[in-house]
Amino acid sequence: MSWRKLRTFLLTALVLCLIPAMRYYQIDQPLLRRFRNSREIDPLALHLSGEFVENNLGTEQNSDGSVTVRMIAEQYLFIPHCVLVPAGVPVHLRITSADNVHSLTIGGTSYSIEAIPGAITKAQLEFPQAADYRTVCREFCGAGHYAMRSEVKVVPREQFPVLRGDERGSCGLQ
Amino acid sequence: MKGEVVGCNRRIAGWVSAAVLSAALLFCVTATSLLHTVLAGTQDRVPSYVEWTPETKAAASAGDAFRGSLLAKRCEHCHGEEGFSQVASTPNLAGMDKLSLWKQLQDFRSGKRSSPVMKPIAQSLAAEDVADLAAYYSRVPVFSDLQDNRAFPEARPTPGQESMASHLVQFGDGERGIPPCDACHGPIAYRPGAPSLISQNADYVVDQLEAFATGKRANDINEPMRTIAGLLTEEERHALAEYYGAGLGMQETANTNSK
Repeated sequence: MSWRKLRTFLLTALVLCLIPAMRYYQIDQPLLRRFRNSREIDPLALHLSGEFVENNLGTEQNSDGSVTVRMIAEQYLFIPHCVLVPAGVPVHLRITSADNVHSLTIGGTSYSIEAIPGAITKAQLEFPQAADYRTVCREFCGAGHYAMRSEVKVVPREQFPVLRGDERGSCGLQ
Repeated sequence: MKGEVVGCNRRIAGWVSAAVLSAALLFCVTATSLLHTVLAGTQDRVPSYVEWTPETKAAASAGDAFRGSLLAKRCEHCHGEEGFSQVASTPNLAGMDKLSLWKQLQDFRSGKRSSPVMKPIAQSLAAEDVADLAAYYSRVPVFSDLQDNRAFPEARPTPGQESMASHLVQFGDGERGIPPCDACHGPIAYRPGAPSLISQNADYVVDQLEAFATGKRANDINEPMRTIAGLLTEEERHALAEYYGAGLGMQETANTNSK
């Protein structure tokens, strides 16, 4: 191989190596950074924007008859503290945590849903009959863990009210 | 000559059409955002703009306590000398947790916690003043010893109130899902932004619990206090206020430390 050919080869190789390197630094650097911090949701900023803002928590009725329930687990409460759902329809639960890992365990059922900071846990539940369920946190989360309990109130489908605004986050007890 | 005029007209026409297009675009963007607001019905209800990132915590606790002690002269009129308030409905600031004081001043400033008195005062403070005040008040020693209750020497809950409150403070009520107060307000653990209640005025505590329960005060991030205050009975709120007002939260600290 002549020196000239080698030089051409080396130069071409250098240029070919530089292109991905430049692309990496210019374009992929922010992407990598985003990937490293990739979280579905920022656990410290749940209250500022997104689907877990205060007025969006609780039971939302969907057009197909099912309901979506959004909850936050935090030390040492489930917010909303009481959730009202109709019996016999699919309940799409979306839960996240503001601090530690918690677990929403619904007594009397086999449902146990992890609430993880930075992630939204999606689960589809269904309660066949009207009943009051007590929920507990099944993941040790700190000094007040044992008192971290809440309620799921299941009412017959025809009695389920049209929830608006502030009613979504409570069982209509206030 | 004629060609030049036509060229000029074309250029003007180009500018005009660009302006019209951009105006139309701007109008569309504004209209869409307005429509979005109208269709969404309600705006997001944000309890507080404070976000407890490590940077926020660092900024809130980087104050200069000496400078804060000079600034605190302005607060003495209502909050008392060294933060021991003489008016029962005004909070004691002595020994107040740094992050908590910082957050409340931010919320007064943004109007998320409403107070006609505190809003203009908080707005007149610079960002570093807030951190300095927090640093100063958090360093004021609350009790030199347990017998010397500078906050409220004569206050004392009834035995019934004391046992009810001390159970709630240490254990909460698991049946109703009420977590123990000391798991966030100390001394067991502190949640960022939760005030230490060891020397708070009873009247102030009961006022705030009632404001949380009715939703009049709504600046707690992710609604912990609105939920808990709503679950407590009126009797329990009064018992807790008397308990903290007498400095019994501090006694618990002393017991915990001595163990």
